[in-house]
Amino acid sequence: MAQYSWPVPLRRAGSRQLWRYEARRAGWAAGVAPPAALLGAVAMALLAGNGGAGRRQIGNLLLAGPEALLPLAVAMTAVTMVARDGCRELQLALPTRYAHTLGRRLGVLALAAALAALVYSAGLGLSGWWTGPDPLASPLVWAPPTIWLAAVAVLLAVLSRSVVLATSGIAGLWLCEQILADALVGHDWTRPLFLFTTSRVGTGEGWLTNRLVLTLTGLLLAGAVALLLRRPHLLLSEEEE
Amino acid sequence: MSELLAVGRYEFRMQARKRSLWLTMLILATVIALFQGPAGPRYLPADATAPEVMAGWALLFGIVLPLGFGMVLADRLVRDRRLGTAALLESLPVRPGLLLAGKYLGGLAATALPVLLLMVVAGGYEAVHRADPLMLGWAVLAFAVVMLPGLAFVAGFALTCPLAISAPLFRVFFVGYWFWGNMLTPDLMPTLTGTLLTPIGDYPASWLSGGLALFAGTPGWLSFLRPEPGAGSALLSIALLVLFGLLPLLVANTVLSRRRHAA
Amino acid sequence: MDIQTTGLTRRFGRVTALHSVDLAIPGGMYGLLGANGAGKTTLMRILAGVLPPSGGQVRVGGHDLTTGAGRLAVQRRLGYLPQDLGFYPDLSPREFLDYVGLLKGLDDTRARRRQVDELLELVALTEVAGRRMKGFSGGMRRRVGIAQALLGDPALIVVDEPTAGLDPEERVRFRTLLAGLAGGRTVLLSTHIVEDVAQTCQHAAVMAGGRVVYTGMVTDLVRIGEGATWEVVSAVGAPPPSGVVVSAISRTDGTHYRVVSPTRPSPDAVPVAPSLEDGYVTLMQRSAGLSSTGLKASH
Repeated sequence: MAQYSWPVPLRRAGSRQLWRYEARRAGWAAGVAPPAALLGAVAMALLAGNGGAGRRQIGNLLLAGPEALLPLAVAMTAVTMVARDGCRELQLALPTRYAHTLGRRLGVLALAAALAALVYSAGLGLSGWWTGPDPLASPLVWAPPTIWLAAVAVLLAVLSRSVVLATSGIAGLWLCEQILADALVGHDWTRPLFLFTTSRVGTGEGWLTNRLVLTLTGLLLAGAVALLLRRPHLLLSEEEE
Repeated sequence: MSELLAVGRYEFRMQARKRSLWLTMLILATVIALFQGPAGPRYLPADATAPEVMAGWALLFGIVLPLGFGMVLADRLVRDRRLGTAALLESLPVRPGLLLAGKYLGGLAATALPVLLLMVVAGGYEAVHRADPLMLGWAVLAFAVVMLPGLAFVAGFALTCPLAISAPLFRVFFVGYWFWGNMLTPDLMPTLTGTLLTPIGDYPASWLSGGLALFAGTPGWLSFLRPEPGAGSALLSIALLVLFGLLPLLVANTVLSRRRHAA
Repeated sequence: MDIQTTGLTRRFGRVTALHSVDLAIPGGMYGLLGANGAGKTTLMRILAGVLPPSGGQVRVGGHDLTTGAGRLAVQRRLGYLPQDLGFYPDLSPREFLDYVGLLKGLDDTRARRRQVDELLELVALTEVAGRRMKGFSGGMRRRVGIAQALLGDPALIVVDEPTAGLDPEERVRFRTLLAGLAGGRTVLLSTHIVEDVAQTCQHAAVMAGGRVVYTGMVTDLVRIGEGATWEVVSAVGAPPPSGVVVSAISRTDGTHYRVVSPTRPSPDAVPVAPSLEDGYVTLMQRSAGLSSTGLKASH
């Protein structure tokens, strides 16, 4: 019988190899969903252009790509990532915190989303179709709603342990923000939490406040998720799908 | 036939037991009912007819409830493959097409059940609120005419599309499609909104309410799919939605059968 | 690494899965026997730091498992094979072990890869080390599972139903492998298969209904079946005798039943010397109506 007694230093894992493995765990949807959402926006803009829409309308549709479709895609993918893990019980018995493992997987998704959005924004900028704020502020178009919606999605997924409930909740929320846009923008207390201010209202007064409030509340929600994941065994009782 | 019923009954029981299905539908329905705004059915004038009121409720619920419906069904077949039960089911002496049809019918019935019950609750509320017991009957009819064809349409795609593009990606596209194909005004861009293929039930709702429910028949893209709202166009819309919902099932059945033979 | 639990309780809503479990597990190989639903998996999960207890104390190697620091200290020296390991279908066994090694904190790439290769050889998976696990049989996945549990030279190995679903040959291989690991380590083997414990463990505990109903030497478990084990010969085709039938062998003179029953099951029943299985069955029968303290072995 072979003996395994050589001392291997048990330090905090965080190597590039681990990130590579977590990228594979995140799955191909993590890499495909963000660019697919943005391509969807381009397709809609092309449709609108064929239908005779004006330049401003097309510009707003293109802007809705990173501001509305990208957050939705990221949030939906994040739910699946958190709710499913083929080896969850084993993961919880390992010395690496499961919250860190999930964090890496979500980080891969965030990276894919950021890259896709930056390339998309640059592409629109170069082609003259960018109608958002200053190019340097372009991340404020997609990052705040993405952080916010993804944080809500993951929080729902962790609390409900149900992919169905979390994805339906996010879909319902996203749709309500779309169809109740006028009502949400019309009230002082809901305006800062409206997700699609850039494409539906513009970058005028209150835009920066809206972006900051979304970012801060999104980060708060992410903090709540991190707190909940200190008790990762809650995820073991995931509901039958 | 008995095999189809058996598969359907099994699928129905399995889906109907899901707590998340009921909870999701309840939450979505409560939120949309509370935030329906002055254009919602709750605020229709006191002399509004029962079909008009209940068609309004069907349309209102139709905005969000099919989202939960689609999410539930999205990984039904994918899950069978993931857990390995697909191979077990395929080994049974039941034709694969029959299995798929049973799953479709059972899944559709189970996921539509909470929607029907919510319509009955809305009908009960209106029956008391407007002192008209007929509201309950119209609630069931509005569900059957306005909502069910759309749900059948969604079920066909929600069951089969994730096999090709994965459940997470399908869910993203589905929400985007639901907004684009049902609520985006036809004057903004080419959209299926207001056509006979609008699964929210625009044509049947317009027929029941006797006026324009949303955008049925509004001029726009694919004008041949935008006839004047009425009984005929409503029935045509229902038939088209059901038939188009079966198309992805036929395609999936053909592809899966070929794969099985090739394996 | 010794394990000590005192008044360990775990509730899931209204259901109590563990009722005030007191256990002292020394080093070496230790068996945990019990029928399905006895609470073994819950206990294993608590000992692996996967699940926190609802009450009571649990110390592993002197570390308090109810604290974050204690749990981390234990998990650094733990090898755990859950009942349902699951798997990542897109990874090969080599990649999977490498990944788990990283999560176990094995930062030294060369040492980790060397260890992975040795473990793959140990569980006889070298030939398929680069193949995706998607098409692996249950036995092959189980072998990957035991290999990952051994990564990092753990001082405590917790294996939950490791031989479930394996063919007889693989079961024996697995048992031998586990027994070989026990030198210098604590190996906690949870199973409902009495033979697995009989062949590998000196000490064992038996659980029933979330309670520990026996702790002690495995050989002493045999004595519990004394006076309750019978052989009954029935004509071929006749219904089996009353009591728990442990085995049935058809011979020319009829079917020879080995039955566990507190009373003589039939006038022609012959009392026979009990085996471990008979002792275990007797214990489980009795435990249905007795408290755990009433059944604790006194050695």
